[in-house]
Amino acid sequence: MSDFLSIKNLRASIEGNQILKGINLEVKPGEIHAIMGPNGSGKSTLSSVLAGRDDYEVEADSVTFLGKDLLELAPEERSREGLFLAFQYPVEIPGVSNINFLKAAINAKRKYQGLDDISAKDFMVMVKEKQAMVELKSKLANRSVNEGFSGGEKKRNEIFQMAMLEPKLGILDETDSGLDIDALKIVSNGVNKLRAADRSFIVITHYQRLLEYIVPDFVHVLFEGRIVKSGGKELAMELEEKGYDWIKDEVTAQQPS
Amino acid sequence: MKLPRSNPHNNNIEFKAMNKETFLKQFDSIPAHYPIQGEARAAIHNGLDFPTSRDEKWKYTRVNSIVESSIKLNVSTITDVNSFKIDANWCYLVFVNGAFHLGLSDALPNGVEMTSIAQAEGSMKENMLAKLGKLFDHKSQAFPSLNTAYFNDGAFLSVAKNIKIDQPIAILNISEGSAQASNPRNLIHVESGAEVKLIHQFEGVNNSEAFTNSVCEIFVDENAQTEYYLIENEGPETKTISSTNISQKRDSCFTIVTITKSGQLVRNNIHMAITESGCESNMMGIYFTDGTQHVDNQTYADHQDHGCNSNELYKGVLADRSTGVFNGKIMVHQAAQQTNAFQSNQNILLSDKATINTKPELEIYADDVKCSHGCTIGQLDEEAMFYLQSRGLGKEAAHRLLVEAFAQDLIDTIEIDSLKENFSQFIKSKFE
Repeated sequence: MSDFLSIKNLRASIEGNQILKGINLEVKPGEIHAIMGPNGSGKSTLSSVLAGRDDYEVEADSVTFLGKDLLELAPEERSREGLFLAFQYPVEIPGVSNINFLKAAINAKRKYQGLDDISAKDFMVMVKEKQAMVELKSKLANRSVNEGFSGGEKKRNEIFQMAMLEPKLGILDETDSGLDIDALKIVSNGVNKLRAADRSFIVITHYQRLLEYIVPDFVHVLFEGRIVKSGGKELAMELEEKGYDWIKDEVTAQQPS
Repeated sequence: MKLPRSNPHNNNIEFKAMNKETFLKQFDSIPAHYPIQGEARAAIHNGLDFPTSRDEKWKYTRVNSIVESSIKLNVSTITDVNSFKIDANWCYLVFVNGAFHLGLSDALPNGVEMTSIAQAEGSMKENMLAKLGKLFDHKSQAFPSLNTAYFNDGAFLSVAKNIKIDQPIAILNISEGSAQASNPRNLIHVESGAEVKLIHQFEGVNNSEAFTNSVCEIFVDENAQTEYYLIENEGPETKTISSTNISQKRDSCFTIVTITKSGQLVRNNIHMAITESGCESNMMGIYFTDGTQHVDNQTYADHQDHGCNSNELYKGVLADRSTGVFNGKIMVHQAAQQTNAFQSNQNILLSDKATINTKPELEIYADDVKCSHGCTIGQLDEEAMFYLQSRGLGKEAAHRLLVEAFAQDLIDTIEIDSLKENFSQFIKSKFE
């Protein structure tokens, strides 16, 4: 059986600046991996590159997802294969209804899988159930995508979409940023309910706080485009206590001068 | 003396531009029904020339391909128009190559009278002649003048006082046969307090290279309410010039929605004379062009009296190498105090090769008014595209959703559900 997600020596640059300088990461089904790191370390670039944003020049020895070459796939194909990116800054799209868009997205995936369109009834049942899960008001589900949503509502809407699309791999890009503690609990709760033996998550965050609610199996520290340290959830605690400076010092000490 | 320019390398190729007389001669077999037609013929044969790119209003729209073309006056063979019907429940008045087709037309609802302009009789003829040509100067504008000179028929439609007509009435103009030239002429009178929804739909059958030069005059009396939908769908190789002049009286409400679906060259002129106080006027338009299409919308909101509101919104989506032109003018005369006039033109370019020339204009002589105008030109939001794609939507589907969203506020101004649906289908078809 092929690996779930296997990233080998992933590099990415934008306008000549190399941001990712050789990322190696193995994710197995059901695991939660947290990626932490100081600002500018490449966390958001990693999530963008995995989701297929085409602003970057990307190279790698290999990136495979469920046996396929991920980098060869268009963003929509990655989504249909089961990858989901919860955006750090969800985009407002006036005039496009949240519900119609989700239905179109679900049907695009079903078509890809050779299935018929979802019935209106099944869809509505699903909407109701998943809405309740992230405590998203039904009036928001019917509005234009993210238009006029508060920061917390936008993040909840991301998790709601994730719940609707039932991905194999969820990437949460700083989902905790800008959330108060109540919203953070609701969002984390939603993610925890989606945990399953065949579903994995990559949780990207600057702060340890989120990881109190979404408890990771592994924590990786990203610094200057490389994963410089990996460990269990206790690594997050250590980072919280000591900040990122000791990591920076360690890395600098290892580098040949 | 100037010598004619010649190219020594190409002297075996003759560039023979057709002169105006040769072009006009092709219409000669059309009889003149009314004296006004004789006047217009005299004007266009003598002195009145077709516009060139030196005319400010025609800077971006060349008409050589029209006025140097060989045209035909074909005989209609159509026996069925059902395929053109957007909604079979509307009342259809059918004109083929300019001439009224009674057999294909529906009976009118109570309160609406219609006569073929060519066959008008009695009091209808008197009423018609009292209004025909009153909203156009057939001596100074070449295309309306050409229409006046050579129209062979049209509808004179009159809606009786204080009557609300629920059934939409559609004037269906079909252009049939290659190189067909038609000069459809319509005259609409909505009497005081009446309420009506009109659709003016242009379609084509085997009409490649056809030219349609339509003129419509609309009189909206006191307190009357009129919605008028202009739907242009003559086919990809056709050329259309459509001139619509409206005159509104006190406390009336008039809305025109122009939907350009096809046509190689389309030029729409709308002149809205808001002659008395308390009026509301809406001008909406949408064009979605591709290939090498050229669509030009010229509008004029003429505020002549106080306390009127006008609202204008035109939206364009331009793909491939197509070009668009928008020139909207709001004129506020000194007597038009307390005018609220708003105008906006918004465009999305889907390709690097598409072009839009847009020019919103305001001219104000009153000092107590609220007016605004503006235009935007942009592309589809790349962030939004990526967001939609990252949820599994293909590029085409994402494009479609965003274009539909862009057009949504215009679609919402369409108050007839079947027309709204027809328009949504049209946008959908552009992505198939």
